Amino acid sequence: MKMTFKSHFAMAACLWLLSVAGSFAQDSTFTNSVGMQFILIHPGSFVMGRFEPPFPKPPSDASKNNNGYRKTDYALAEEFAKRDALPGFTANISKSFYIGKFEVTQGQWKKVMGNNPSAFQGNKVADNANEHPVENISWEDAQKFVAKLNLLDKSRKYRLPTEQEWEYAARAGATGDIPWSQIQQSAQLGSRTTNKVGQKKSNAWGLYDMLGNVWEWVQDYYNEKIFADSVSPVSGKVHVLKGASFTGDVKNATYMTHAAGPGNGWDVGIRVVMEANE
Amino acid sequence: MNLRLIATVILCISILNTRAQGRIPAGFTPLFNGKDLDGWHVSRTSHQGTTPDCKAEDGAIVVREHPYGQGGILLSNKKYKSFELYLEAKIDSFCNGGIFLRSTESGQAYQIELSEPGGTGSLFGEMLRVSKTANATKRAGVWKANDWNSFRIRMTGDTPTITLWINEVQMWQVKEPVNDFIAGATTGMIGLQAHWSATFEPGVASFDMSGSWRPDGAHRFRNIAIRELK
Repeated sequence: MKMTFKSHFAMAACLWLLSVAGSFAQDSTFTNSVGMQFILIHPGSFVMGRFEPPFPKPPSDASKNNNGYRKTDYALAEEFAKRDALPGFTANISKSFYIGKFEVTQGQWKKVMGNNPSAFQGNKVADNANEHPVENISWEDAQKFVAKLNLLDKSRKYRLPTEQEWEYAARAGATGDIPWSQIQQSAQLGSRTTNKVGQKKSNAWGLYDMLGNVWEWVQDYYNEKIFADSVSPVSGKVHVLKGASFTGDVKNATYMTHAAGPGNGWDVGIRVVMEANE
Repeated sequence: MNLRLIATVILCISILNTRAQGRIPAGFTPLFNGKDLDGWHVSRTSHQGTTPDCKAEDGAIVVREHPYGQGGILLSNKKYKSFELYLEAKIDSFCNGGIFLRSTESGQAYQIELSEPGGTGSLFGEMLRVSKTANATKRAGVWKANDWNSFRIRMTGDTPTITLWINEVQMWQVKEPVNDFIAGATTGMIGLQAHWSATFEPGVASFDMSGSWRPDGAHRFRNIAIRELK
């Protein structure tokens, strides 16, 4: 087939477009030089901080009343539940980002920081402590970790997730809070030590231990309220913790729990965000 | 009335008032100033809730849920190892609370249960598997329903021995075979708990928890004091 000038030009343009598009494409997963695995999270939105506490209804058969409520208590419960309900707000995640597939492990912390502050290390656990999450770290320690990680890998930018990014990734598309039956499948709860990362079921986006194992520091200051505000405070006494730990239970190992430091120390760790290339 | 009669009446009123209010035993140091929560803080990592309504009212620490369904734990700022704790509690019925001993920041602790009707005075664990529990089987004989009752708790040793008196009658003494704290702690905070009773949203729980705390219920604590032991 004889190529005309026009067809040459069209082919060149297509190749250029493919090349540009390729440079913007993001791999869905990434493993850095320290061995930390990341998963790409795409932009989207979710409702954060919606509070609709359930309240009991009086049984049709009064003899089956087993929670000690008087008739007036049922009315009060409904009144208080509706009084305290919150609509929440829409949190918009406008940019893609990578987040750790697992919590940062003791092995990874040692490679970056050269030390291991964890309480559950060595013979304090039954298996390889290097695969357990690092814990016993303050928010400031976490900042030192990401700063050093940025020095080690200058091709990428690492940081703690914002609370909105963390909850968006933990929900993995879920609009409601997580049912107890699912928590039992995916959250590392009820043990006497931390556990190796990645032992329970991942969430829908392939992230492990978002709930349970260790609490995870996020970037935000704590607002002293049950849930986050749409805009985080610019200052505060402590920072927000998300996800609960192995000492938590189905009540607080949920996407929504908005906790804060200092926590117990020995069940507080981190998960890192790696920014996606523009 | 003559002067002697007036003085006698004042003395009688004073004695009755003192008995009604209770008093801190000699040698104990107050943990609560009767006016505000100086020396205390709320746990921000308790599964019971992170925003309970804790305040000083009429010379007592009063603990309630806030918002609806969310409890929490009020913790002493200071940690203790071996001690004798004295306090008086007035607890609304159908409100499950507790006195926490050697509590961690998230509220993992040995717990003296406060639950009427039910197991007030029992030794349990809060987020802690306690090796040896106990029930206050003699409580009915001394308990004053809907009124102030005194609790004296002695806790000693790395592997704890715990003794409970209610209204100055010994209920039990338990020597644990091991220290049950998972991170091996031998010190911890004093805690006052309000149990949670509702999840954040409907449809997630496997059973109804509304009976854990009746709406508008409260637990009140006064004359809270401690004596540290060697």
